[in-house]
Order: sequence, then structure tokens, then C-alpha cells
Amino acid sequence: MKTVAIEHLARVEGHGGITVELEGNTVGNVHFDVFEGARLLEPLVRGKRYDEVAPILSRICAICSVAHSLTSLKATENAFGIAISRQTEMLRDLLYLGENIESHSLHLFLLALPDYLNCASAIALAAARPDAVLLGLRLKKLGNRIQEVIGGRAIHPVNAVPGGFGRVPATEQLIELRDALSEGIKDSNAVIDLMAALPDTDFCHCNTAFAALDSAGGGSYYGGEEVIAATNGDRAIVRAADYRTLAHEQSVPHSHAKHSTFRGKPFMVGSLARLTINPHRITGRLALAAERLGLHLPADNPMDNNKAQALELIDDLARALAIVERLLREGIEDERPPAVQPRAATGTAITEAPRGLLIHSYTYDAEGRTTSADVITPTALNAASMEMHFRQAVEQCAERDDTALRRRLEMIARAYDPCISCSVHLVRKR
Amino acid sequence: MKPVLVIGLGNSLMGDDGVGCAVAERLAAEARLPESMELISGGTDLLRYAGQMAGRERVVIIDAIQVDAEPGNVIALDAADLSLDTRQDHAHHLSAIQAIRLLEMTTPAQFRLVGISIGSAGMDASLSPVLAARMPAILGRVLHELGCHSPESDAGTT
Repeated sequence: MKTVAIEHLARVEGHGGITVELEGNTVGNVHFDVFEGARLLEPLVRGKRYDEVAPILSRICAICSVAHSLTSLKATENAFGIAISRQTEMLRDLLYLGENIESHSLHLFLLALPDYLNCASAIALAAARPDAVLLGLRLKKLGNRIQEVIGGRAIHPVNAVPGGFGRVPATEQLIELRDALSEGIKDSNAVIDLMAALPDTDFCHCNTAFAALDSAGGGSYYGGEEVIAATNGDRAIVRAADYRTLAHEQSVPHSHAKHSTFRGKPFMVGSLARLTINPHRITGRLALAAERLGLHLPADNPMDNNKAQALELIDDLARALAIVERLLREGIEDERPPAVQPRAATGTAITEAPRGLLIHSYTYDAEGRTTSADVITPTALNAASMEMHFRQAVEQCAERDDTALRRRLEMIARAYDPCISCSVHLVRKR
Repeated sequence: MKPVLVIGLGNSLMGDDGVGCAVAERLAAEARLPESMELISGGTDLLRYAGQMAGRERVVIIDAIQVDAEPGNVIALDAADLSLDTRQDHAHHLSAIQAIRLLEMTTPAQFRLVGISIGSAGMDASLSPVLAARMPAILGRVLHELGCHSPESDAGTT
């Protein structure tokens, strides 16, 4: 028996690890060990007032702080029956796009690209391809600026509150964003040129199931209530309140993460799932870009998630600019959030975080304090699919040496762009 | 040139990992800190503050550090110190040291790291009792490193 173990992935933090057992050419147990799962984060917010919940949970992760904050607010609003205005919806869409631009540019150019170009880290990449690193930093900064203007702070948005925003952006700030986005869009061709020139990464092919919010109404990451899960031509609709059907979790030995399956099959969430479930998004210049990247849907190669992120990145820049232009054209109203009347109720929300479906569900008492809280992250939803692709990648690899196998496993793991909740960040001395 | 920028880093939901943020928040109410210094309690992604670094001569990062020392020791290092681990082990943000190396491509600022040694970090929205008890001494030592001398509160730290 041989074991290929990646204790913790470079560029994928500490307690995520991969173990693959091999008996000759037969693959035995495969484990992706992440500390994710239902009610993991409940102790942080149990007994807290409704207006404390989103600020706490937005701190789960610096890169996903908008996703956690807005999904949390949406769940609370669903519990209390609070309707939001069209303007708030547009501003939240814009805030979400800012996070997606930031997250995808960081992931593609500073975390995934070093693998493709055989660089040990982003620092090594900076020496080999400063143009790629500067492109990533430039787009990330633009995504951060959008979040700062709309969210009120560069991380952990404090301006988004139940029912709306503490303050709306000034016209001058929107003009600044319009100009910055008009400039940023000029980088779109560079994004596709760079991604199209990367070496092929055909590590595994297998029939993959996907789940994503139905964005037939406009492609918002934030809006929408229905998830479409598709496996091999079989499509099903899951409403937010029935999220347990989707996140049907099973305990797996040697993994903290409970595995989510839909109709018994692992499924993938994230950019590739969003484009697969909503192919109508790929028209015009996006269709041309998809052709240049060699992205054909439905895809059966998890590495195509990187190509899908590149498409979303250039699409997000255009969509963010369109929202800013519309807000400027229609004029921004100085709206105040409505008064909140707490009630004993349960509220659930599902949104599309940069790396896939994110679910928050809370039960409040009559005073508006949480009696239970459930957060299901995209990485928890992806864990079973990741293990399936790890297994396929090893089975379909003719080489059996550790270096080749480890490279495949690490690149597939990174293509999923996993987020391990509540990571630590400390500096280490050698 | 703009004033010195001081950024506290860490995840405040992960116990002592969040000590950099906790220190930055306490410094904000600290009379001994010169008004010219700007403070950010910054979470875990240093790259977020690239915009605020433009036009600075000095940027000081306060972060938890894993080192062979009692929790609460304050260790100031040049960010270019070769003993700092440049490996990347985070899911989707760069380590502070990696981020500094990249930010040096876009800003001429000098980066300095003020590390606060911690024992361990686990899910908790508060600092450990050990670190909380040592906070006055930690603040004194951090102020000293920032050039705001405060000898009486330096005692007990190295």
C-alpha cells in the first residue's frame, strides 16, 4: 500500500490536506480533510442580536467578507419579512461584483498561475512574469475600491445593514468608480490573452454534476432564490428554504467535512457551475473569449473552473460598469434602511460567493436573538466533488511517482479555489 | 509624503490570531500615538490596503507571530528579514510576508513588521486570558517600536 499525502497544500492553508491510498494501480481511500460543515460557526453567533450577526460572520474570511455579510443580511431579512428597494438590490449587486473581481483576480494571477508557469510562489512569479502579477494586483485593487465605496470599509463591510445601507454612495464616488471601471475594462483582453497562453492541464475527465443559482433573470450573484442542480441532463430546482435537500450531508471517516451530495452524486459549485447552469450568460465577446480559452460547456475537467473564472472576471467588470452607469443615469436616492421588527422566525438565503453557493440559515426568537445558525460554505459543498476528481486524476494518470501525482492533486484542489473558514494568518519564522 | 501607515492584521474570530487587529483598535484610542500616524485594523488580507499605501515612506504591519517565545512578546523585524517564512499556506489570500514582497513592486514604502508572539489560535472571538492580561505591556512595547517611547509600560516584554 502506498500513500500520497499532501499535509497541507501550498497556497491552500493549514488544515486542508489530501490523502490518496494506492494499491498497485488501484486507488483506495481518497480524503480531502477540511474543517467545514453544518453548524461549525454557530457558537460565534448563538444568542446574538440580529444586527450583530452579519458583522461577526463577515469576519470569517477577508476575501469572502461581502458574500458572508450580504448572505447573512438576506437570511435575516427573509426571517423578518423585510423587502429591499431596487436601489439597494443594485448596490448589493455592485458590492458583490467588487468582491468577485477582487477574488478571481487574486486567485487566477497570484495563486493558480504560479502552478501553470512552474513557479513556486507568487513571489517567484513576480520575478518571472511581473506583467501577470501587476495585472492581478491592478484588478484586485479595483475590486477592493468598489467594496470600499459601497461597503464602507475595505474589508468586513459595515455599511450594509438589514434592509439597505447606512449611507448610499455620493454621486462623485460613483463617477470615480465609473472612471476606474472604464480603465479596468481595458485589461480584459490581457486577462484572456494570458489565460489562453497557459499550458494544457488535462488531468482528468469525468461526468460532473453542477449546482448554481438560476440567474435567468439577469445574472446577479446576490439575487435569486432558486438553485438549479444538474446531473447528466437531469435538472432539479431547489428553493432556499429546502437547502438541506441540496446539502444532504453525510459523515465521512477521516474528514471533518460532511459530504454534500444531490441525488447521491457529488456536485461542483463555483464559476464553472454558474456558467454551465446559466449558459445564456456566454454571448458576444464572452463567447469569443470562451472559444479562445477552449472552454466548451458542459465541461468534464475541473481545471476549466479557472477558465470560467477568467470569463466571469471580464464579464463582472462590464456588469459593474453597467450598474454604476445606471445609478448615475437614474440618480442615487438618499434612502434610509427601514425600521426592523424582529419576530420569532427562520430565514434562509443562498447567494453565489466567488467560489460557489453560500447558504446562511438562522432561527430567531421574538426579541431577534439567534437560537440557531447554520452556514454552509462552497468549500463544504465542493468537498465530495473534489475527492471524486482527485480519485479520477490519480486513476487517469499513467505516472505513479509522487511528484507527478502531487502536482495534479494540488492543481485540481486550487482550481476549486477552496476557502477554509476561519483561517489563521500568523507570520512564521523558520 | 503621507504619514506612517500602521496596519494590524489577523482573524479576530480565531482567538490570538487576531491580536494584530486588537492592538490596532486599542492604539486608535491611545493618546501617546502621534496624530500623524494612520491606523487600520485590517483583517487578514494585506493586499487590500495597496491603495492606502500610495505615497507612504513607511508602513508598519502588526501581526501575530509563531516563534519560540512566551505569548505576548513583541518582536520587531525588518520585513526583508530572511528568517521570515515566505511559504504560502492560506486558502485564498497571500501571507503577509508574500504580500509585502509583491507590494514592494508597486510602492517605494519601507515595510516593518511588529510581531506579537502567540501560543495557539482556535475559533474564539476573544483573545486568550494570557494575551489579554499582557495587553498593556504589549501596547507599551508596540508604541516604543513605533517611536512613541513609553518605558514604564515596556516592562515584561522583550
